[in-house]
Amino acid sequence: MKKRSKAQVRRDQIVGLVIFLSVWEIAARLLGNKLVLPSVSQILAALGDLIASGELITAMAESIWLLIVGLIVSTILGFVLGALVARSRTAYWMLNPYFSALFATPTIALVPLVLVWFGFGFPGRVIVVVLAAVVPIMFSVASGLRDDPKDLVDVARSFGVTGELQLLYRVRVRAALPVLLAGLRLAAGRGVVGMAVAETYLRLGGIGGLIKSYGSMFQTDYVFASILPLSLLGIAIVSVIGRIERRLHWT
Amino acid sequence: MLANLKKPSLYLPLLSLVIVFGGWELVGRSINPLLFSPPSVVAAEFVELYRSGVLIEAAQVTMRALFLGYAMAVIVGVPFGVVMGAFDRFGDILQPYLYAIFATPRVVLVPLIVVWFGIGFEARLFLVFFWSAIAISANTAQGVRHARPDLVEVARSFRVTRLQLARHVLIPGAIPFVLAGLRIGAERAIVGVIIGEMFLQIVGLGGVIQQGSSELVPAQMLVAVVIIASAGTLIVTALDMLERRFQNWKGA
Repeated sequence: MKKRSKAQVRRDQIVGLVIFLSVWEIAARLLGNKLVLPSVSQILAALGDLIASGELITAMAESIWLLIVGLIVSTILGFVLGALVARSRTAYWMLNPYFSALFATPTIALVPLVLVWFGFGFPGRVIVVVLAAVVPIMFSVASGLRDDPKDLVDVARSFGVTGELQLLYRVRVRAALPVLLAGLRLAAGRGVVGMAVAETYLRLGGIGGLIKSYGSMFQTDYVFASILPLSLLGIAIVSVIGRIERRLHWT
Repeated sequence: MLANLKKPSLYLPLLSLVIVFGGWELVGRSINPLLFSPPSVVAAEFVELYRSGVLIEAAQVTMRALFLGYAMAVIVGVPFGVVMGAFDRFGDILQPYLYAIFATPRVVLVPLIVVWFGIGFEARLFLVFFWSAIAISANTAQGVRHARPDLVEVARSFRVTRLQLARHVLIPGAIPFVLAGLRIGAERAIVGVIIGEMFLQIVGLGGVIQQGSSELVPAQMLVAVVIIASAGTLIVTALDMLERRFQNWKGA
């Protein structure tokens, strides 16, 4: 099968988008039910309204802040746990089962427990993001550090890098960077879900809260208008990390 | 030292289980056994929920929506993925939408699902089916597209028919991708059914969690969480093993 060029694909996609939006607009107008299917123009009007009132910016800022704090905590925690699990068999067999189970559990199922134990404030919300995002980071750190870059370690030793911590930072972490970024990309995707879950289930806030409150008022056009930036946020974060990953593909 | 890192050990997980459960029991009991519900309280709650029949009924409700939705996703997702892969123009145009839907957290779509499908069984079925189907068809399409050109070349040089080409080269080549799709789809399906049960109609195992939350009984929530986690791990591990078995078909 021959590959189509990038420009060709891009052109097809733009044509596809135009057709999709026109069909949506026409269908919505024919249906004439704003509750079930608002038209594209109505959604854009709602979006403009949300931007003009500053509501969207505030909500996005709040969400992004939660996401960043959550991902930073996840990264630190994931690093410590991953390094432990990678370097010690005892830690591996004592810790890994719990985190595998956590990975398989839908974050949403844990949120009520977080609510009871940690409350619905900012710490509680950060914990939800961490629960969603920490495992991929931990696993990728573990698998990245487990592949022992023997020759690199030997070279570093001969240049006078000594001590397990120095080696860890100077050689192992850097050699493992591509794997770490892949884990971070996965974690960011899951983190966005955790963020949305926290914002809709715990105290309403951020973009998730915005969507939920418009949803409970059955203002479907505003629901669409606030889902759109959230989807774009998720896609943007994942693709930025993906881009860094490709750029750093030196090994 | 690193070589035997993954050498299985039975006593280490058991030891850690004893430490974690023991610590939890001690701390939970000394602070507030109702709120922190140590393992003994959770176990008692499990027995009670099981005896009263609540648990069995909830599990049945959850499994029904999960399996029906997942089966639909497989039946629709695989052929659709083949079409997307075979007609790559169609696939290219469709992909951004599937990706956007897939990347959007489902909890925020709950208001739309209520408007379109209500809060009953159909709505839960949709939550299970749609995302699972996207995962399955996207992976299948990738598999169909990634047929190894060298094998296709060889087959062509033997003048095989299209059908033979599909049967001997394309389908075996796509199977590892399809299986990956089935695993990712199953993960998505499990999350979907729980979202539906917690945010739409309060039923099933998700409903047990939600009820425990509104009545402030962490033990009840934990019982449901443990069951969901075990069932999820079981399903995903089984599909994972299947995937590994066919991994070598992926070729270089």
